[in-house]
Amino acid sequence: MATNNVQIASQELSKRLNRMLGVSATNLCTHCGWCIEACHVYQSTKDPAKSPVAKAERVRKVLKRENDWLSKAFPWWTGAKDLTEADLDDWLHAAFRDCTLCERCVVNCPMGVETPAILATARGALTAVGKTPEILDDLADIAVSREESLDSYRDFFKKHVKNFEKQVQEKLKNPNARIPVEEEADILYVPLSGVHTIVPPAIIFNAAGASWTLSMFEASNYAFFMGDTARMKQIAERILKEAERLKVKEIAVTECGHAYGVLRWEAPKWFGDKYKFRVRSVLEIYDEYLSKGLIKLDASKTSESVTYHDPCNVGRKGGVFEEPRRVLKASAADFREMLPGKAENYCCGGGSGLVACEEWRDERLTYGKVKADQIRATGAKKVVTACDNCLHQIMELGEHYDLDITVSNVSQQVVESMVVE
Amino acid sequence: MIGDSTLHFIEYELQAIALAWMAMIYLIKIWQLATLKMPWDTAEQKGSTSRGILQSYGAIFMPWSMESSRTHFWRWLEFGTYHVGALVAIVNTFTYPFAPDFMAWPVRLVFAVLIAPSVLVGFLKLFQRITKPELRMISTPDDYFSLAAMQAFLFLAVMALLTNAPVWRMWYFLVTAFFLFYVPFSKISHYIYFFFARFIVGTRYGVKGVIPQGKA
Repeated sequence: MATNNVQIASQELSKRLNRMLGVSATNLCTHCGWCIEACHVYQSTKDPAKSPVAKAERVRKVLKRENDWLSKAFPWWTGAKDLTEADLDDWLHAAFRDCTLCERCVVNCPMGVETPAILATARGALTAVGKTPEILDDLADIAVSREESLDSYRDFFKKHVKNFEKQVQEKLKNPNARIPVEEEADILYVPLSGVHTIVPPAIIFNAAGASWTLSMFEASNYAFFMGDTARMKQIAERILKEAERLKVKEIAVTECGHAYGVLRWEAPKWFGDKYKFRVRSVLEIYDEYLSKGLIKLDASKTSESVTYHDPCNVGRKGGVFEEPRRVLKASAADFREMLPGKAENYCCGGGSGLVACEEWRDERLTYGKVKADQIRATGAKKVVTACDNCLHQIMELGEHYDLDITVSNVSQQVVESMVVE
Repeated sequence: MIGDSTLHFIEYELQAIALAWMAMIYLIKIWQLATLKMPWDTAEQKGSTSRGILQSYGAIFMPWSMESSRTHFWRWLEFGTYHVGALVAIVNTFTYPFAPDFMAWPVRLVFAVLIAPSVLVGFLKLFQRITKPELRMISTPDDYFSLAAMQAFLFLAVMALLTNAPVWRMWYFLVTAFFLFYVPFSKISHYIYFFFARFIVGTRYGVKGVIPQGKA
């Protein structure tokens, strides 16, 4: 007898079945095992149950039972099964804890199986029945509530930003440097909640003489991690509406992997051609400023060796590889590649919301072992990355694995090496 | 003793019926897939869709392009050997009945030489599936049966080619007919899904400029 949760989750799975999932969730996977070693979770634990194929198989069995003819008739033959309450509990770990949706398995699969899409679908089904990490739910709620109480929040926010402005003016030795909020401009910069994602970019925008304004909202979208369709659209759209209201030409997304993915790649799928702004990562904009000579960097200002961690959502899932490298090479004399990198880079171990889930801290640090080994192999003393989740995870990895490193985002690194005239 | 008419029926009429069946099932399955919505990327392109698709289809032929094949070259070689053998054995099911003049001894020998290694690789794959815990954990009866049935198909292809004896040909084409009926439902149908999946992956990564990308 199917429980209410099972019925709701089953309906959610059916609702989410698209062509990509339909291909990947039937007979495409030959169980060849090529993906196994590609996964940082498997690499760090050597647990066969945590390989990409084993994690996907938990969900695929249910999808096959519903959608594959042979599995409908003879489920024991293909390993298919009906969804149960116990499966949902199992999926919570497989989809939210043991998979960071990094897609490294996809680029290593000879067939093109989209394992993260299968597990993201499981996340959506779990969210529909309330089986989701509480913190992700809370963070999504906070984002939604900010829009609802925007009028009362506005003054508080602007007052705080005014204080940050002084830091910008001091750095640039320019009393006219500003952090405009909610003003009409060419660029709407969308930060995170931390000052480290406001002040350094503000210094760079001012140094480049850009026409820009700061968004009232945070870029992060924790509902996206949960596969919560309604809320993730709501959280994204408030920024798009703000951009429309301020008549900007472009949205610049802060150094946040999933926020970049959401606004750059996902939102156009959700809203069609309703919004027509260009969306870029600030990394791309910094690179443009550098190439046009609008900002000048002095590599000799960085004494230590520097390496770059490609956040999965910015790199493999976003296509931004060369821009941060060009910027970092101009800002640090001793830049070292982390290998393997770019599309083959390993996840830091904290992606897709895992870094926020304190209850899984031990697992997260274990899953980060591959990244820690990669960092150690570079010999670099400073790790720069372009995602706040990665930043926090790598800082913790540094302590946990005794890496003796400092960690920074690209904006901070640019500001530290900037030539102020 | 196999009668000429029996062998003729197995090599022609039965194959035609089985092929028609397979085509019908695949068409229905493709239609089912086509009716599902597809969330194509509509954002401003950063890379090239066509180059992404090309790279996606070509990846399996370029062992250096994926870490999973680059660092496991022998595994890639096994993969290639097995699939070349399977392809030749499938081609042979058409050339044997429909181009008998072409199937002279030298050609049959070349075909047999191309297929024979895949029989050995098949045994290796079966052995690995049984002995490796990470593969055993994800294996289903369909996985074992599909591998074993492929072994029979490949072995019978080699024997039919080498001997040209009616009895081997009969068994080879009976197994072929069985395959044509069974394959659309089993994991062996991955070769059909492959073309859809690689297209989707190539498009998705191509649009974003993720592939073709240099490795660091």
